[in-house]
Amino acid sequence: MSIPPLTTTTADRGRTNGAPPSARLRRRLVGPAWGLVPFLAYLLLFLVVPAISVFVDALRTEDGVSLSAMGEAASGQNRAALLFSVTFSAGAALVGVVVGALLAYAAASLERPRWLRTAVTSFSGVAANMGGLPLAFAFLTLLGRQGILTKILSTMGWDLYAGDFELGSVPGLITVYSYFNIPLMVLVTLPAIDGLRPAWREACSSLGGTGFTYWRRIGLPVLTPSLLGGFMLLFANSFSAYATAAVLTDNSKIIARRIGFFLGGDVSIGEDAVGFALASWMIIITATAMAIYWIARRRSERWTA
Amino acid sequence: MIHRLSSVVAKSVPRLVVLVCSLFFAAPLLALARYSFQNVPTILLGWSTLFDKWSVTGVTAVFREEAFWSSLRLSLTLAAGTVVLTIGLLVPTALWVHLRLPRARALLEFITVLPYMVPAIAMVAGIMIIKPHARWFLNSDLALVPFYVVLALPFTYRSLDTGLRAVDLRTLVDAGRSLGAGWPRTMVRVVLPQLRVAIISAVFLTVAVVLGEYTLANTLLIQSLPPYQELFVGREPQAGYALNLLALASTTVLFAVLALVTRPRRRQSSLVRAIVSSPAHSSENPS
Repeated sequence: MSIPPLTTTTADRGRTNGAPPSARLRRRLVGPAWGLVPFLAYLLLFLVVPAISVFVDALRTEDGVSLSAMGEAASGQNRAALLFSVTFSAGAALVGVVVGALLAYAAASLERPRWLRTAVTSFSGVAANMGGLPLAFAFLTLLGRQGILTKILSTMGWDLYAGDFELGSVPGLITVYSYFNIPLMVLVTLPAIDGLRPAWREACSSLGGTGFTYWRRIGLPVLTPSLLGGFMLLFANSFSAYATAAVLTDNSKIIARRIGFFLGGDVSIGEDAVGFALASWMIIITATAMAIYWIARRRSERWTA
Repeated sequence: MIHRLSSVVAKSVPRLVVLVCSLFFAAPLLALARYSFQNVPTILLGWSTLFDKWSVTGVTAVFREEAFWSSLRLSLTLAAGTVVLTIGLLVPTALWVHLRLPRARALLEFITVLPYMVPAIAMVAGIMIIKPHARWFLNSDLALVPFYVVLALPFTYRSLDTGLRAVDLRTLVDAGRSLGAGWPRTMVRVVLPQLRVAIISAVFLTVAVVLGEYTLANTLLIQSLPPYQELFVGREPQAGYALNLLALASTTVLFAVLALVTRPRRRQSSLVRAIVSSPAHSSENPS
């Protein structure tokens, strides 16, 4: 049972290849780097330029640069849409992290039936990519006003729509988004759970620790980077989902739909900068979440390498 | 006592989680299937009408729609274009990085996550800004292709990268070269066969992404399959739900075939295995 050194990262592994650094090697490295030019140029053209131009058009006015559109995009109804999106995305991510991690742990620890683990991972691969229109329609037929489960619940005396429940509300969106968030979390966190070595648990109990001690002192601390990374990934995933929300919510409630509304051209001239400012805020928030995810993933790879 | 109790809890909690999750994941699909195949309004649904009016007319109605076929054709064309461009761009890049620039692997991994940082709807906003400067290109329906390559990038590059990590590329290339094969021959006869599974899975993932892409197509008013799915539900609910069920089912089949293809295989040509597993040739740091 070997525990990998704390500092092992992919970068380190790459560096052990080949000769020690020398002037000749450096000269050789300038050459191979040119092989990346087509790929980088492609991304520059079709990803970086569109993303940057969103910021440019959000900041540009007739007489120079101004933050007024960015400010307007963060106030009033726009602010409400931003907050609504952040709220339900955080909620959906939290539910996804907890249930996804539990499901991954169940798949990793249950020995019978033996096909369970394969079934869970294969299904997760499919369902993690299932967001979109069909999923939204499936939930409409289940939990919509005319949905089957709504009907079954009402015959049992529970009127789901008596309160202010609807599929486009925070609880509704969390329910629907869990359908692809939970499987995504399973895929992300299973390697980390597999990395929990039985020897650690044995060491813990032979030192007198209980199951609770094990999770409190060993299991959860080891899993923390992976759970945090999973939260950020699921947050970004929910925050930027558009197609599912297009079916379930009205036009301007969540930020992604609101941008679609601005882009639809139903706004007066001059207001389109606000739409681009909303898109800029969206990129800022998603990019931050993904950056944290990236750092957390690097950390969690320590234990799975 | 406490130990007994906690072990019972430890055993039953995972089972309960699996059970509840199975119900949660099955229910929406079953509900969608009922609406697609049974033409009874929910109001009237009860024990007495449970077995009434089941039929496949919803599904057959889909196939009679001219607009369905044209949107499907467009989506398949977009998928084919995206696959060709993705493979043409990514396979050489991934090979290059693994063979000549291993130090850039971590950088590439980071770059391929970048598309996640720009939500699809923000990307549309960017496309709309650059559109006036490239109308000759962006007015075409096929202009979506290069952007779909970007959207699929996190999946496709990762699958190629995983495939390349699994084989000792450098040794294979050295072996091929020292046996007298030139670069093109080494690539076609030695390297690409080793990458077959990785390339197939990249292709499948790309097709799945393109066939389900709604945001760009809908906002840019391009009638590919997903926008049509939405439109059709509004017009003919039962047939519309059937169409969405079909879309789900075909994606699932795609992924099931993918899982079969990428299943780890024991049978590998013994020569390759001998070369790859030989410790003397391992250029990677064993960790």
